[in-house]
Amino acid sequence: MLNISAIIAHQKFKALAPEKVGHNKNAKLPMNKMLQYPELAVNPFGERICKVFSSSRDGDCTFEDFLDMMSVFSEAAPKSVKAEHAFRIFDFDGDDMLGTADLKQVIDKLLGNNKLTEREMQHLIQNILEEADLDDDGSLSFAEFEHIIDKSSDFAKYA
Amino acid sequence: MSGGANRKKSNRAQGWEEAGFEFYQESYPSNDVELHDVLQKDPKHLATLLPSKQNRAYATIKMRQNGTSTRTYRRQTSSKSRRESTTRRASNNAEVHVSMLPDLSKSIPNEQTAWEQIMQIKELPISMTEKKRMKSDIQNAPNFRLQGYEQFKWKRRKALRRFDQKINEILSKLELWRKDLKKIEGNFGTGVVAFFLFIKWLIFLDIFIFVLIFLLIVLPMIIFDPASPTECYDVGNVTNCCAVDYFNQSIPYDTLVLDLVQGTGWMERTLFFQGFYSNQVFQYTTQAFQNYYSLPLAYVSVILVILLVSLVAIVKGAAKGFKHRIIEGEGQFYQYCNLIFAGWDFCIHNEKAAIMKKKVIYNEVKGCLEAEKLEEEKKNRTKEERTKLIALRTFINLIEICILLGCGAAIYFVFTISSELRNDLEDDEALLSLFYGFLPSITIVFLNVVVPLVFKFLVSYERYSPNFVINIMLIRTVFLRLASLIIFYASMYTVISCQPKEDECASSECKTPVCWETFVGQHIYKLALTDFATHILLTFVVNFPRSLLDKKSKSKFAQFIGEQTFDLPKHVLDIIYTQTLCWLGSFYAPMLPAMFVVIFVLMFYIKKFACLVNSKPSNVIHRASRSNSMFMIILLVSFTVALLPVAYTIGEIRPSTSCGPFRNFGTVWSFVTDSFLSTPQWIQNFLDILTSAFFAVPAFIILVLCLYYFTAVNSANRHMVRILKDQLVLEGHDKQFLLERLSLFIKQQQDAQKQMRRSEGDRNAASN
Repeated sequence: MLNISAIIAHQKFKALAPEKVGHNKNAKLPMNKMLQYPELAVNPFGERICKVFSSSRDGDCTFEDFLDMMSVFSEAAPKSVKAEHAFRIFDFDGDDMLGTADLKQVIDKLLGNNKLTEREMQHLIQNILEEADLDDDGSLSFAEFEHIIDKSSDFAKYA
Repeated sequence: MSGGANRKKSNRAQGWEEAGFEFYQESYPSNDVELHDVLQKDPKHLATLLPSKQNRAYATIKMRQNGTSTRTYRRQTSSKSRRESTTRRASNNAEVHVSMLPDLSKSIPNEQTAWEQIMQIKELPISMTEKKRMKSDIQNAPNFRLQGYEQFKWKRRKALRRFDQKINEILSKLELWRKDLKKIEGNFGTGVVAFFLFIKWLIFLDIFIFVLIFLLIVLPMIIFDPASPTECYDVGNVTNCCAVDYFNQSIPYDTLVLDLVQGTGWMERTLFFQGFYSNQVFQYTTQAFQNYYSLPLAYVSVILVILLVSLVAIVKGAAKGFKHRIIEGEGQFYQYCNLIFAGWDFCIHNEKAAIMKKKVIYNEVKGCLEAEKLEEEKKNRTKEERTKLIALRTFINLIEICILLGCGAAIYFVFTISSELRNDLEDDEALLSLFYGFLPSITIVFLNVVVPLVFKFLVSYERYSPNFVINIMLIRTVFLRLASLIIFYASMYTVISCQPKEDECASSECKTPVCWETFVGQHIYKLALTDFATHILLTFVVNFPRSLLDKKSKSKFAQFIGEQTFDLPKHVLDIIYTQTLCWLGSFYAPMLPAMFVVIFVLMFYIKKFACLVNSKPSNVIHRASRSNSMFMIILLVSFTVALLPVAYTIGEIRPSTSCGPFRNFGTVWSFVTDSFLSTPQWIQNFLDILTSAFFAVPAFIILVLCLYYFTAVNSANRHMVRILKDQLVLEGHDKQFLLERLSLFIKQQQDAQKQMRRSEGDRNAASN
């Protein structure tokens, strides 16, 4: 089924690499091309997002993956879907838990060039775990993450 | 899919209970082979095999293995798989697979459910390919056709849904200023966009106010076009003669523009000001019935309705924010999580803004950690230091109160001086008169621009925490603005409150203007114009060159002068102040809301210019949810301040005898009570009962009981949450303890096995 928004999305997709997409329906864009999409380019988690949505898990995206991405980030997507994907994006090592290592990477990416000292980082992670780690096992499970997201009024607006 | 509906309900009402239920009851399919494998390799990975993680972990493992098909359906399907898995334990890989997928084909009794399922697929966190596959599965599966009324009902539902979607789509495309908002969002984030949406909201409110006034007050005046009184037929009645005098005054037409700016002269005799409106009851005939339209009654009721509607709209907006606040307030605990997980604004697509945003988040993190340290420090502060700080703060607060009082005195002084000077002027000094006329407004606006800067300077000495600084600055500035309005109003009150003597139209002792309602309206009109002009001047003449200086020049000094951030609280106050003027003025000048609609539309562009061209992103985090509730609360405060004078005017002050719809009454309210007495008896009786103690006391008691009931429920729930939280922590500890024990045990067993094997091997070797 073709509709206008899909066509617009395809135009955007094509604009990233016109020579590659062309009329090829199954064209696949490498991650560095995908990262030229303005919102992804400046997003600290751009690479992670590409990887999560890419069907081949390496960051290269087909148009369908791209559509998936757009639909999850659209305003109409339900919060649960967003939470699920956000969790996957933040889960760097893919062990289905947000451990201290994941949190550290998230914070590092989020702050960019502004570095925290080791002590501050420790302190911050400890604070986060204290807030959200309900069962006190040193990492955040999806249920715990979803719980935070439910309470956060900003999440739906931002993500 | 009834499971979905159940889930929704229980999620809200008893999320904890459900979690517990899931924890205990759900017997997830386990896989013996895999379990063994994992245990052999690494006993520590036991945790990933826990039932609570089984589904997700399994899905991810699968996904990585073959890179296709299964992902997590956990949320949506757990209830279903739970139902199934209790009856049938899957034992091999393939069956596990099937049992975790929602087995849609089995539960399709008819078209409607199939359609519902297709709609639900949209909410699953899976990729498009799979959604397509599931959809085609459902569509290809045999299903019953609905018959008769059922069919009709379903068709209608489907059509309605489609219609809804279409409408939403079109509306979102037609949305006012969508592109502008997107652009601002990309550069400054959602917090600033909330401000622009707030302007939009006010525009719609004002349009509503204007339409109401126009239809019920202005239009009847235009249609019936009542003749202004020309004859003074009753000599004994001073009132009539006053009106005749007033309306027969000759108006000079040579100062067109000056009058337009000041609202005097010819403009005074337009529908813009209250004084021009008639006090007649219009009569007209439709189909041989004699109908009456009482303009004064319409006038006062429209004003009351407008105030009521505004109040309801604000309270509704504020309540929405309030709910967020309560949720957040319970989770003051969640400030760090919020910052890290919801901190990034995914709408940003501008590199500079992104760098800025990173910096902002960094600052915020630092700030939070810093604040924690400050708290510690505060606890450890010596007595001497504490007294010193308190003394300093008291001193600064005293200074600020003095400044506020000084501002009030200045406004009052300027108002009296200028009106005296203006009365002494000769007729031909029009420009000077213009200057004196605008002097109070200019003073107020000037103070509003300058004094906050002084406040900002002073607050830096008080050593408050950064969040508190924003709040206290906001409170002080609101105070200043509203105080200046109140003083302005009070100084006007001294002029209009005097009772005129028997043979006078207006009190000469206080120099009351002949038509004081119009006089007040003119002042508010001038104030609004001055305020608007200041915004234009500040934005285009002062701040724009400053930003150019900042961009073009590299020198430190130029940047010091030119650099400006988008200071959200200040801009919000600008807008709210303007809206306060609108509420204040609509009673005295009914066409004022129309002017404010125009002003707000222009303000949108002015503020957009100030935001996109003049400023850089601010280094303070503005959260969309929080800022919106903040806007509404300040708006509520301003509304109350605007309401007081209007209510006082309606209730207490004698309307001027020469003009306006209420010229013959003691007060506006006495007119309202008079008209109430002329309503049918049963309405009066009904209202009498409603307001009597007979009704009010029981109603009050019932309300109190309801309130008590809800607080009791609330506290019980809170208690329950606490208990469950504790329990959860305990369970977590138990789990960890058991896991450790188990892995230790397995390790021991493995070691024992190894040893056995070795010894067996030894024995074999020996026997060989």
